[in-house]
Amino acid sequence: MPLAEQLLDASLWASVTRALIPVLLAAIGGMICERAGVFQISLEGMMLVGAFGAVAMAHVSGSATIGSAAAVMAAVLLSLILAFGAVSRDGNPIVLGIAINILALGITSFLLPQLFGVRGTFQPEGGVRIPRLLLPGLSELPFLGPVLFSLSFLGYVALVLVPLTWFVLFRTPVGLRLRGVGERPMAAETLGVSTNTYKYLAVIASGALTGLAGAQLALGNVGVFAENMSSGRGWIAVVAVLLGRAHPVGVLGACLLFGFAEAFGFRLQGQGLAVQITDAVPFVVTLIALVLARKRFTRLLDLSETKI
Amino acid sequence: MTPELELRGITKEFPGVRACDGIDLTVKAGEIHCIVGENGAGKTTLMSILYGLLQPDAGHIVIGGRHTSIHSPLEAIDLGIGMVHQAFKLFPTLTVAENVVFRQEPSRRGVIDRRGASRRVRELADAYGLSVDPDAVVEELPVGVLQRVEILKALYRQASVLILDEPTAVLTPQERDRFFEVIRRLRDSGRTILFITHKLAEVMAVADSITVLRQGRSVAELDPAETTPEEISRHMTGRDVSPVRRGRTHTPGKVVLSVETLEVEGFHGLTAVDGVSLEVRAGEVVGIAAVAGNGQSELVEAIAGLRPVVAGTIHIGDQKVTHADVARRRRAGLSYIPEDRHRVGTVAAASISKNLMMGYQRSAQLRRGRWLSLAAVERHARQLCEHYSIKTHSVDAAAASLSGGNLQRIVVAREMSHDSPLLIAEQPTRGVDIGAIQFIHTQILDARDHGRGVLLISAELNEIQALSSRILVMFEGRIVAELDPDTVDEADIGLHMTGGAKVGA
Amino acid sequence: MLKAAQRGVTTAITHPVTLALVASFGLGGVIIAATGGAPLAAFSEMLAGGFTGRGLHNTLGRSIPIIGMALAVSLAFRAGFLNLGGEGQLLMGALAGTMVAITVPGPGVVVVPVALAAGAAVGAGWALLAALGQTHLQVPLLITSLLLNYVGRSITSYLVRFPFGAPGEPFATTVPVPEAGRIPRVTLIPGGRVSISLVFVLALAAVLAVLYRRSVGGYETEMVGLSGPFARYGGVNVRRHTLLVMAGAGAIGGMVGTHLVIGETFRYIDADMSAQSGIAWTGLMVSLLALNRPMLIIAAGLLFAGLQIGGFAMERATGVSWQLAQVIQALVIVALVSRFAVTWKRRRAEAQATAPDAPEGEDAHVGKV
Repeated sequence: MPLAEQLLDASLWASVTRALIPVLLAAIGGMICERAGVFQISLEGMMLVGAFGAVAMAHVSGSATIGSAAAVMAAVLLSLILAFGAVSRDGNPIVLGIAINILALGITSFLLPQLFGVRGTFQPEGGVRIPRLLLPGLSELPFLGPVLFSLSFLGYVALVLVPLTWFVLFRTPVGLRLRGVGERPMAAETLGVSTNTYKYLAVIASGALTGLAGAQLALGNVGVFAENMSSGRGWIAVVAVLLGRAHPVGVLGACLLFGFAEAFGFRLQGQGLAVQITDAVPFVVTLIALVLARKRFTRLLDLSETKI
Repeated sequence: MTPELELRGITKEFPGVRACDGIDLTVKAGEIHCIVGENGAGKTTLMSILYGLLQPDAGHIVIGGRHTSIHSPLEAIDLGIGMVHQAFKLFPTLTVAENVVFRQEPSRRGVIDRRGASRRVRELADAYGLSVDPDAVVEELPVGVLQRVEILKALYRQASVLILDEPTAVLTPQERDRFFEVIRRLRDSGRTILFITHKLAEVMAVADSITVLRQGRSVAELDPAETTPEEISRHMTGRDVSPVRRGRTHTPGKVVLSVETLEVEGFHGLTAVDGVSLEVRAGEVVGIAAVAGNGQSELVEAIAGLRPVVAGTIHIGDQKVTHADVARRRRAGLSYIPEDRHRVGTVAAASISKNLMMGYQRSAQLRRGRWLSLAAVERHARQLCEHYSIKTHSVDAAAASLSGGNLQRIVVAREMSHDSPLLIAEQPTRGVDIGAIQFIHTQILDARDHGRGVLLISAELNEIQALSSRILVMFEGRIVAELDPDTVDEADIGLHMTGGAKVGA
Repeated sequence: MLKAAQRGVTTAITHPVTLALVASFGLGGVIIAATGGAPLAAFSEMLAGGFTGRGLHNTLGRSIPIIGMALAVSLAFRAGFLNLGGEGQLLMGALAGTMVAITVPGPGVVVVPVALAAGAAVGAGWALLAALGQTHLQVPLLITSLLLNYVGRSITSYLVRFPFGAPGEPFATTVPVPEAGRIPRVTLIPGGRVSISLVFVLALAAVLAVLYRRSVGGYETEMVGLSGPFARYGGVNVRRHTLLVMAGAGAIGGMVGTHLVIGETFRYIDADMSAQSGIAWTGLMVSLLALNRPMLIIAAGLLFAGLQIGGFAMERATGVSWQLAQVIQALVIVALVSRFAVTWKRRRAEAQATAPDAPEGEDAHVGKV
């Protein structure tokens, strides 16, 4: 197929949305934390425990819904470490986030043989999946149907969250206070807004959403858990928050870019390019985007306050 | 009606210092009550207790005859107390209206009524002559306006007692007069104003009554109609203070700094310094007077090598350093007391000796062969501490353990001891106690007398007047006047600082 | 004397690092119990397996890359940069070093240093990509160094599968490194042999310790790390320091990677190396635990290496999966960060409270409400 035709191919864009959903869910969580002034880089780890919790409980219960709920629980539990360490104890969120990511990798790799007696990959017989919801009528539209209206329930959740978080952040008292807390905690405190409460809620929200991201990742297509299966998506979500300046529309844009890169890389694979090279495409695209959007991240350039 | 306010025996101790030592204070309803004292006299601590930010170790607060304890700003707000802090507590990216209504947002079915909020803010502003645009974003507003936003915040919360902590520090003389109008109007509407300051002229201008604090005690209650600035000053310091004087006249020597048609970009890439030319000669102090945000900080940063130059040239001594790095400028003869001693001038987490050795680390004095001599580093630090009266039990202690005045002495000690021909002193006495102020002033004049050239930037006009050999006034990035400190008065300088005398500029 | 010793013991027991270790082992025990194991038996197997007999030798061997990566992290961390790209630097350097060791002819005394130098150069180059992004493009090193791991993994995977791959093998690997290109093993303590790299890495720690404490560059780097604005104001070239420490970190990473092949497995096996790359993260944790101090890094590195080696013994003896070691290591850091912050915050608050003439009205007096 010529390139132009490929770019308008509905199946390409359908795989863009599929690649996009988990990253978008995690990135929205990261965005809420960023707005509350907590630098959240443990998305990768939370996504991983979410995926594990989802597969484990879906296997035990036979229900994707229970699996997804378990994913949320597991990731929220992990997020509480960050909330406690970084908010209550004023620890460094970057160092904590890294430790949480390592912890997540360790604990899932530990539990896999411990609970299910397998290593590397766990694919339960008759694996439970989150079914796709074909929206009546809409899913039959040409192009838009397969791209936007044949998603899993969590897919719709992710897409609806974009306008919803915008509305909450910029039009409601809770959103105003959350932004205030993130920007000038002292000022918010003197007006009687408890910064810790808002930060805790933001971190927990990011845990819940990133847990869902893990569920979508594990149960969206095949119902399988593989060691380290988040494979950088959580980090891409972190970058999406930065690139999108913690604004819902910007974050969606950044996630779209990543989703497109992944789908396109996958497509290139089909045309004979080595999988080892196409795997790198999303990361290379992300790096290029970082360079193009530079000067936005001055806050992260000087980490001289970074102490454990 | 606003109730009477009483503080009884308020005591507050921090490790090693008793900030408030049984302070009594009675404030009548509907008056402007000035609380004066030197830095460190306990003014801000006392007000933080009244506003619920700190809890007293002893003593109590009586409002309208009722004993009250205030555990948080929220409780203070509920009691009708509002406070405008010296460092504003505003959200930069939010609008004026959002800042004002924060946490008490007018809303309909969970959605903020943004139009209603703007309207309320505008009504309040108009009622008290506080002109602000409710929909402007705070970070784009000048400081004078930010202060009005802070006052609006308190008024919106129906404050009947308004605490103003050093409110005029950020204002020009003209803005200050307008500001006094506003607070008189607030008093006339029945509100009580607690006005914290150390500027006696202001006290005489607005106070209905005066309480003087010294070393954590209230030492005098005065009636402005029956007192004089001299008497207040005596109470503040416990002695008669003779300010440092410029002293002998002198003939300036060779040029140590020359800046020609300098152009520098500031925040958001706007031109902050717009074609400035100036010279500093050995043996003179050149003072730059300007209202905050008129390019003086950018000018200094450009000279110090911390901000790129867009156009023009800078020479230190006879070396051209327009685009040179900091190290080269320092070798050419620059030393620099920066405005922000906490972030730029020192490192809190490093030891005093490591703070004092910056700039010396490559000098033979501290090295043995290739390596640093730890013994020499310590000796160097001890010498400086002794010579500049830095009080500390050990030079290995972290700089974070020092008080503001001692911290500034570290910066002064280090920069003075370099003995370089050019010294830039930027707000050298901001927020330090009177002892340190006198010490620093003496050091600057000594440096001048030893043939160094000094560029002094200060927001304190009396400091500029007392120390400068020549005064340059900066306004909107340009130098608009050169004045003789012996013949101008504060009002004149103020007029130039606000662009009010553009003739000849 | 006795009193001083007592005080010393008390300080050691109440030290945050000790408490963090105790807390994380406690939590690890809870996890074992919760998954049906016997914590005490598991831990005693772990300690015995990691620190006695043959296990001790394995621990020494394992500690080489861990200490190395920790030193690399400490170098950048002291300058205020979190280099999360150790994995990529290690892999890129390893493949380069391996290929040199395979292709360059000559005696071992020539080939091994040249291979290590090649690994160092490529590792440094890979790290410099992130550093240059920070200094010249204002893209934060924290993020780019991490993202480059994934790219580095892809590149090495591809190279070892196609251009550098050994033909006819069922998995992606290079051909074996010839005898001359291998790092020799020696008997340091009786009962087993260990790679001579151990001596090298301990020497590196000593050199860095002296550099950090006694050199002008060490002082300047420390100031850059504590406060960028202060260092810049004092005339320190922050950009140069950034590039230097990152190049140094990458070089160490590249040499560690090269050692992993020419000192241990003798061929670059893709799957193996991907699994090994977790060492970069272990090194990061070791450096954090040791507060970036080289001599403490040796101790912490031995401890973490022992936990990993002991983990395998624990799994063999009790069936408790060895990844528990990784869980405990991460918990140590979590506990350390959460608890350390308390003392740190308190000290800061005290420092401010004792400042009677701190600028009034600043947040100094106000504290958290």
